[in-house]
Amino acid sequence: MFETVFKALMEGFGESLKIFALTLIGALPLGLIIAFGSMSKFSPLKYFTRAIVWIIRGTPLMLQLIIIFYGPGLILGTNIWGIGSKGRFIAVIVAFVLNYGCYFSEIYRGGIEGISQGQYEAGQVLGMNKGQIFFRIVLPQVFKRIIPPMSNEIITLVKDTSLARVIGVYELIHFGEAFIKSNGLIWPLFFTGVFYLVFSGILTLLFGYIEKKLNYYRV
Amino acid sequence: MKKIFAILMAAAMMLTCFVGCKGKEFEKDSEYIADKGTLIVGITDFAPMDYKDEDGNWIGFDAEMATKFAKSLGVEVEFLVLADWGKKIMELNDKQVDCVWNGMTLNEEVLNGMETSKPYCKNKQVVVLKKDIADKYTTKESLKTLKFAVEEGSAGEDQAVANDWDYVALAAQSDALKEVAAGTSQASVIDLLMADAMIGEGTDYPTLTKSVALTEEDYGVGFRKGSDLAEKLNDFFKKCYDDGSLMELAEKYNIKDTMIAW
Repeated sequence: MFETVFKALMEGFGESLKIFALTLIGALPLGLIIAFGSMSKFSPLKYFTRAIVWIIRGTPLMLQLIIIFYGPGLILGTNIWGIGSKGRFIAVIVAFVLNYGCYFSEIYRGGIEGISQGQYEAGQVLGMNKGQIFFRIVLPQVFKRIIPPMSNEIITLVKDTSLARVIGVYELIHFGEAFIKSNGLIWPLFFTGVFYLVFSGILTLLFGYIEKKLNYYRV
Repeated sequence: MKKIFAILMAAAMMLTCFVGCKGKEFEKDSEYIADKGTLIVGITDFAPMDYKDEDGNWIGFDAEMATKFAKSLGVEVEFLVLADWGKKIMELNDKQVDCVWNGMTLNEEVLNGMETSKPYCKNKQVVVLKKDIADKYTTKESLKTLKFAVEEGSAGEDQAVANDWDYVALAAQSDALKEVAAGTSQASVIDLLMADAMIGEGTDYPTLTKSVALTEEDYGVGFRKGSDLAEKLNDFFKKCYDDGSLMELAEKYNIKDTMIAW
């Protein structure tokens, strides 16, 4: 029995991992773009971006999933996601990337704005242009500083993948629950916790390692 | 030393509390209910069986019968909306609810996991789809190519499995209807009673319509395995049927045709 359950849970965990990985791939760069938007000197763009961040951070991810997936069909009358599991999955990724992009952007912004003016001036003295200063001097330092808050968000993301089931994407929790209905087994649902724990444990170690590696940036 | 002693004392106190809080054991479920003075009825929002009126009170055929039954036991009725219909047996065993009374289909899972009343209502599972494609799908055979949305653990899911239909399982029947209305699924299998109440002209889902009717099934009320309340409820149903109050209520909610004679 354990083997059957473990196999099914692994399948669900694979789906959760897919959501996790694709969200990171999308949200990490998107966050930087949003951060630039909300730091822009062009104020309409700045306020527009901040309004979006406010909306996304101010509403539950579960609601965003429902609105993004059902909204087009129910409100606009045209279902843009098609029929079948592929559209569901894409909708989940879109919602997650948007949501996490907004959270990441604020972390980036905090990191970038926290770099002292002296660093920029030092770059100018060395004859670097704006892009060089940002990518060679500012960004590496930002990267080091934002590791702790980023690891927070990323570990939250591991657990948030379980929200995908509200629009019928079968992830780890879904597979755990399936055993309650089919076999009357409750422990598989509880056992899913082990998967989340182990995975976030690995991530914690990984972030600890990265932080240590970056110790030489003493600012 | 003093500190360690204090911690040990605190731990011992907590332990006695846990033991003490475990509560009394009762031989019969009815004694347990009588002792705490409430009958907690597990429901979902499911017109015309359980739904809220404008003032937020629970009404519906099942809600009114449950209220009357609790009265006959001399206890207060309390309604608890089950967050997940698929976990209803777990909720019963955990004593979060004392019965599940919500147009519940007496399927194998329910009969094995609960002490059930005799069936009081006959329902059908019916396919729901959009009006504009309804003409094309009038036989069970023609439904094969459709993508379904059903409630997880419901009789509708059993049908989808039995017919080997491609489906997605969601938390509630109303979610399945939302799928069909949004076009993210093409059809759904839900209870006839619910379909009559929730779709068509004058509802939130005017674009949906009923299609093929599938199996018939019986509705019953579920208690904890071994509970004596199931038998008590059978007597109560019979009494209400004999004095005509049962049919009167069925008439009020427009489900007279589905009632089973006692």
